[in-house]
Amino acid sequence: MLKYILKRVVAAILTILVLITVVFFLVRLMPGEPFTSAKLTPEVAENMRAYYGFDKPLIVQYIQYMGNLLQGDFGYSMKYTNRTVNDIIGETFPFSADLGIRALVLAVSIGLVLGIISARNRGKKIDFFCVIVAVLGTSIPDFIMGAVLQYFFGIEWGLLPVARYDGIEYTILPACALAFGTLASVSRIMRASMLEVTSQDYIKTARSKGVSDLRITVKHQIRNAIMPVMTIMGPTVASVLTGTFVIESIFAIPGMGKYYVESVSNNDYSMVLGMTVFYGIFLVLCNLIVDILYGVADPRVRIGER
Amino acid sequence: MKKRLLAVLLTSAMAVTLFAGCGTPGSSDSGSGSSSDEKVFRYSTNTEPTTLDPSKGNCIPDNEIQHAITEGLVRNTGGEVTEGVADEWEVSEDGLTYTFHIRDDAKWSDGEPITANDFVYSWQRLMNPETASPYAFIGEYIKNGLAVETGEMDPSELGVVAQDDSTLVVTLEHPTAYFLSLIGSSGQFAPIRQDVVEEYGTDFAADAEKNVYSGPYVLTSSENQQWVFEPNEEYWDRDSIKLDRCELTYVAQQDTSLAMYEDGELDYVQLPSASVENYEGQDHAFLNGNVDFFYWNTASETCPALTNVNFRLALNYALDRNTYNTLVNNDLYAPTTGLCFSGLADAGSTWGENSKLQGYPLDGDADQAVEYLNTALSELGISSASDITLTITTSDNDSSKRQAECVQEMWVNTLGINVEINQVTYAEVLTRQQNSDYEVIWGGWGADYDDAYSYLEMFKSDSSLNRTGYANAEFDELLNASQTETDAAARSEMLHQAEQILIDEAAFLPQTEREVHYLINDSVEGVQFFHCALNIDWVYADFAE
Repeated sequence: MLKYILKRVVAAILTILVLITVVFFLVRLMPGEPFTSAKLTPEVAENMRAYYGFDKPLIVQYIQYMGNLLQGDFGYSMKYTNRTVNDIIGETFPFSADLGIRALVLAVSIGLVLGIISARNRGKKIDFFCVIVAVLGTSIPDFIMGAVLQYFFGIEWGLLPVARYDGIEYTILPACALAFGTLASVSRIMRASMLEVTSQDYIKTARSKGVSDLRITVKHQIRNAIMPVMTIMGPTVASVLTGTFVIESIFAIPGMGKYYVESVSNNDYSMVLGMTVFYGIFLVLCNLIVDILYGVADPRVRIGER
Repeated sequence: MKKRLLAVLLTSAMAVTLFAGCGTPGSSDSGSGSSSDEKVFRYSTNTEPTTLDPSKGNCIPDNEIQHAITEGLVRNTGGEVTEGVADEWEVSEDGLTYTFHIRDDAKWSDGEPITANDFVYSWQRLMNPETASPYAFIGEYIKNGLAVETGEMDPSELGVVAQDDSTLVVTLEHPTAYFLSLIGSSGQFAPIRQDVVEEYGTDFAADAEKNVYSGPYVLTSSENQQWVFEPNEEYWDRDSIKLDRCELTYVAQQDTSLAMYEDGELDYVQLPSASVENYEGQDHAFLNGNVDFFYWNTASETCPALTNVNFRLALNYALDRNTYNTLVNNDLYAPTTGLCFSGLADAGSTWGENSKLQGYPLDGDADQAVEYLNTALSELGISSASDITLTITTSDNDSSKRQAECVQEMWVNTLGINVEINQVTYAEVLTRQQNSDYEVIWGGWGADYDDAYSYLEMFKSDSSLNRTGYANAEFDELLNASQTETDAAARSEMLHQAEQILIDEAAFLPQTEREVHYLINDSVEGVQFFHCALNIDWVYADFAE
């Protein structure tokens, strides 16, 4: 097991290093420059390039960047001129993560329950209902969901605040809007994998031994059927927790999502890099945890590795 | 079995509820939720301010914050210049030297006196290349400004000297009629305390705590995309400040701001253009000084037709600006055929009122356009209009696309030329403008100071803001002369003549002046709007009893 984990950790570190290097050089290929404003004069542009070290050869800049990165320093944003990327991540990540965790708990708990219920009642009305929820969740984009929830619960009925993130009541609408899509995919995957497991030999064996339905579901079906759900959890956790541009923007939540999108259109090199590296590390970590959990949940994975 | 299932469901529900019970980040120190007798003005911006450092401010949201938390030598409120940190000043006869006397009761928010040296330090810092201020060019009016900015001279040689703690002498490169108006509305000219900058280093003004304030308000919080202002108790004119607090929130979507306004969470909101008609009779409007137009490269090598005046006139006459404004802007903007914003101050009146500009017909004139086109074709030696292909470069958002498509259709239908549209990112549009790497490109301008020169300068052949390659000796002479002319009426005449030259030579494609529609809480009074450097000025806002 230890060897298995070590292998995964080394692979994860290598992945992150390659990611940083590729992104560092790729951002420089983006069309346009970071110092752009309708009123930028050549004199000002030159001073700004020197200030951010762009007058040095690219390889020198790369070495400097890696050196700073080893000390955990992402550098100053080029758009938000006196704030560091670290500050911005530090300030916005808690909001995105808070919203993400709430949405995930909602999505996974309800999604799993719906998936299980619907698999156990295949072809019945309740299954039909769960499928409808899944189809709606997959096909309605989150910005529509967000706007609809905001309109009815916030404006029309005045039950919940329409925007911002200043307390518990503020979290409900964005968390629901964000959860809906994930909830649908979790329930769909869970349903499919429950059904697949149902036809396995060990279930038949259990049934022939006279084990009760509920016991079969809890003890055998769920444990085996949950593996595919775990597979999607790595990337899902990473993407949901590090900010979602659309939902954060609709509900004016001071999260990270905006900086991802904006940094690219602003050509804010240090922000693009900082955000990508942060997201990359987070994604790799989530996948690593999933990999390890795989090993824990399913002995076949560990054995296969040997 | 059903009971067990129910138990599972209930447990999950409980877990969710329990989880929802955890606190949210930022909820404990939220500034909102005021007691009812407090006067709190709440508004939003859909462009996030980029910095709190006065020297590095480079957009309207930055400057709107500085206008509240800093006080320059004078204060410009809606175009009216009144005393600020200086209570008296003299201007030399040649208009080159300003001597400011700093009032005795001018204090920083920590109680320290504001001195002439705080201005010397700030202005030198603005122009010092090591600061890398994105807006340093605004200080080029000061003697040796450009030389300091380019590193040719030491910042100590800048034309700003503290004779003593309360006397500041400023020398300009040339007489500048709008100098007081400029320093009264641009945060870049605010005083800065050297000891505070040195204490925080590159973290100076990184958040509300890392600065001291000279203005009517202090910033008490700048966290979580919300900026909270409270009156500066040390401010010399504290009695004129009526609000107990102001809260500015960054809200990306205008629709969300509107929902917050409807929900009573904001006192002022700019209306998204699609919603304006729903609020007819309740909304107010102001022109924000932004003029939309397209630049064209008058020295284009890829489309030589653009170097021909008659061809450019044909393009201008082919545009039906009234229809364009309906299709692109739902008639919310004002079509124009000029360059300078009509509401600018101009020799005791406004630019629009003094203007005798002979522009293009607002409805366009297809016959005239074709006539110009035919003349151009024979001058260029091109046999058919269809041999000409123009590319409009514009950014990748919907409104820019609509703008370009509308112009494309009118040009193709009226003139029979080929027009292509190239959509790139906004950053790329700006880079191409700077490098004159385009044929026709999206553009627009808002003034930094209340004077037509701010717009006309873009077409001066030696201006670093000239993106078009346009050069006209007579135009340059008029602008140069306007810089030394001290008689307001004569100067105005020169600038109007200069604008007429641009129109006669079709130096660009004028389109519209932007109008902002907004809603404001009925009990709020004293909010002002301005058309350069800042839009909303709530410094003297109050709530009716």
